[in-house]
Amino acid sequence: MTTTHSKQDLVLMAHFLRRAGFGATPDEMDHALEIGYDQILDELLNPDHPDIIPDDLIRRYHVDLSDLRSSGDAHWMYRMVMTDTPLREKMCLFWHRVFATASHKLIQSRVVTNQINMFREQGMGTLDNLLIELSKDPAMIMWLDNQDNHGTNINENYGREILELFAMGVGNYTEDDIKETARAFTGWRIVNPEYMSIRMRNNTARPYGYMSWQFEYDEDDHDQGEKTILGETGNWNGEDAVRIICEQEATAKFIARHLYHFFVADELPVPQWPHEEPRDPEAIKLLCDAYFASGHSIKAMLKALFTSDFFKDVSARYARIKSPAEMVVGTMRLAGPVDLPSQEIFAAASACSNMGQALMRPPSVEGWQGGSEWINTGAYVERVNFAARIISNPDKLGIREIINRIKSLGESGSMSPDDLVDNCLTVLGPLDVLDSTRSGLKKYASKYGHLSWEENHSADQFDKAAVAVIQLVVSSQEYQIV
Amino acid sequence: MTITKPQLKYVTNVGFCADFGGRGFQLPTSMVLRSDGVIFVASRGKPQTKGSNGIQLVTANHEFLGQIGSYGSDLGGMIWPTAVALDSDENLYLADEFLHRITVFNKKGDPIKSWGTQGNAEGEIKGPSGLLFDANDDLLVVDHRNNRIQKFSKDGEFIEVWAGSYGDGDGNFNLPWGIAQDRDHNVYVADWRNDRIQKFTSDGIFLSKFGTSGQNDGEFHRPAGLAIDSENNIYVADWGNQRVQMFDSEGHFLTKIRGEAGLNPWVIEYLDSQVDEKKARSSFVPVYQPDTDDPSEISARMEPYFWDPVDVIIDDHDRVYVLETGRHRLQIYEKTI
Repeated sequence: MTTTHSKQDLVLMAHFLRRAGFGATPDEMDHALEIGYDQILDELLNPDHPDIIPDDLIRRYHVDLSDLRSSGDAHWMYRMVMTDTPLREKMCLFWHRVFATASHKLIQSRVVTNQINMFREQGMGTLDNLLIELSKDPAMIMWLDNQDNHGTNINENYGREILELFAMGVGNYTEDDIKETARAFTGWRIVNPEYMSIRMRNNTARPYGYMSWQFEYDEDDHDQGEKTILGETGNWNGEDAVRIICEQEATAKFIARHLYHFFVADELPVPQWPHEEPRDPEAIKLLCDAYFASGHSIKAMLKALFTSDFFKDVSARYARIKSPAEMVVGTMRLAGPVDLPSQEIFAAASACSNMGQALMRPPSVEGWQGGSEWINTGAYVERVNFAARIISNPDKLGIREIINRIKSLGESGSMSPDDLVDNCLTVLGPLDVLDSTRSGLKKYASKYGHLSWEENHSADQFDKAAVAVIQLVVSSQEYQIV
Repeated sequence: MTITKPQLKYVTNVGFCADFGGRGFQLPTSMVLRSDGVIFVASRGKPQTKGSNGIQLVTANHEFLGQIGSYGSDLGGMIWPTAVALDSDENLYLADEFLHRITVFNKKGDPIKSWGTQGNAEGEIKGPSGLLFDANDDLLVVDHRNNRIQKFSKDGEFIEVWAGSYGDGDGNFNLPWGIAQDRDHNVYVADWRNDRIQKFTSDGIFLSKFGTSGQNDGEFHRPAGLAIDSENNIYVADWGNQRVQMFDSEGHFLTKIRGEAGLNPWVIEYLDSQVDEKKARSSFVPVYQPDTDDPSEISARMEPYFWDPVDVIIDDHDRVYVLETGRHRLQIYEKTI
């Protein structure tokens, strides 16, 4: 029995799938509508299988990905395009932004890939576990110089950033807290720290290629003394510092605000947060309550977010500018699966970088601010060109499916150009566009005249018209927001 | 009665990460040994550093004799070099799986011709990944993306589809890679995605197979290259499991090696010129307890281990050479009882 869904259901589901994933193909939309909002949310929050990533094929053909010295971004791009657990993958993108770690200092992207893998496993668990794993992550240790953080001579870098940028935000701790936190993390380093540091500094793959890193705790190098962190005193180690941090109200608010910015609506840039209230303080409170009630579970916060009125309300629709990664991945997923071997994924990672977001190479530990930062003339041109390039072949699986769906909305094998545009916008979303955009699309489509697909020649013409309209839609300003 | 299984004892390694060309390799994928002891190693290189493609000439005594070929699609160029072989006149043949062609170099190293048409019709090739000259000096080409092996004359004239079609039955292939022959000219093929080795007569008639998917002894995860010694023992570069396994002529498991490369003379010379790196190595522990069980990640961390072992060859003394893509070197072992 086919259930007819109200326009409201369709619009809400499309909004949800754009935010909790990278948008939906028509098939994915069908599946979600069939099982309903609560169940699709549950499916996305609780993926019961790992992604099937043909690492053997990737390494077989893209031999330069076998050591992942560079091109970790392409490798991750492939995963995002092909995943069937998109919320889990989006959480990797979320944490990569918050815990920004750049491969160019580390001179290899393999260790950042391993960090992203850790986000995949821990990213929807508790903040405590995530921060402990982050503190042990070899890429993070070397990125923030914790291998130089010794019991006899501390290096404050990680201690500062875990408080300032990763968990609490400026103004919620003191300089002494930074020092004491750094002391708690002394001895948290990697195996062979001297040699690995020199190799990194010299940016060398010699003699036998790059080497990946492994965490090591050096008890002898740890500062065993008493420490006072955020008002609590004890003989703290790193795990204790994380526990104390995670218990703070400020931590819950900071993470909540990041989640709001990433999933609900563009917030101000993070440096302004100490001085400006959140857009929606009630929403932040709701997320904080979920955090504390669940023992600091990120999954619980996400569930609270996606079931909330503030998320479902019409004011949250199209309230964010798509990051380049969301733009690129979403468009690629729409076009259909990527075959190996192909250069498509490398080109996509490169385009993402040209748009202002080089995956695994954030500009600094502050990451990307997002929001209006994403849009400037050059970036917009890159977005338009990229989308037009990807949506150019009607025989790509995803495009063919979209064209077939558009046809299914027509009657007796023909369609007016106005209906083509309306049906395109329905199948691609449904997408809301301004009246001026819609009429502009219709004016463009009118040059194709009345269309049919009964015979070969007219079917080709229909394909051409449909592809042209789809290209224009994904180039529109409305497509850049989500 | 106790049967003593052979062991493989590490002798030395040859190689160095030459990411901008020069003495060493860069992501090598195949090698072949000439009668005078010269080893030809095909380096795949990286797209961003095109100086790193080419065929390097070395010896087991750590001599570097130069490079032939470079990146590109002109005659003598390569983009995805995958296999090298020598004909009876010791001309060198190179298979490129991006350009779908075979390039021939003469004994001086000059490219003299190339042939190959991309496609799946008989006589066309798609992704040549293994080369073997048979007893008649005809060339067997592992036409891997067509899941078959085809026979050509040395000049590229199509002779026949020698064996194979897609599948997992006897005589079927799923992205086959390496190819080798024993003293009786039986042919062995590393059936990569079927995780097994198949044996054929010299005419392409299926004889037997061994191996299944897994990490245990005798199991494979994506076997890539293979070689046969004078006693018909079979050595398989078990690429995905990051090891080399040795089998008797019936395919029974004998032993395996994980890799134990030390510093070769090129590396010692390099470190002597890099004071800070040499000093830092004084506290370097090459092999330690890993906190993961992913063999590829373990190889990435432990310098002596094989990392993506891709090809195996045997010399006249039955020494076993293993080429590793990820560590830009080949390790040499001798067989002991």
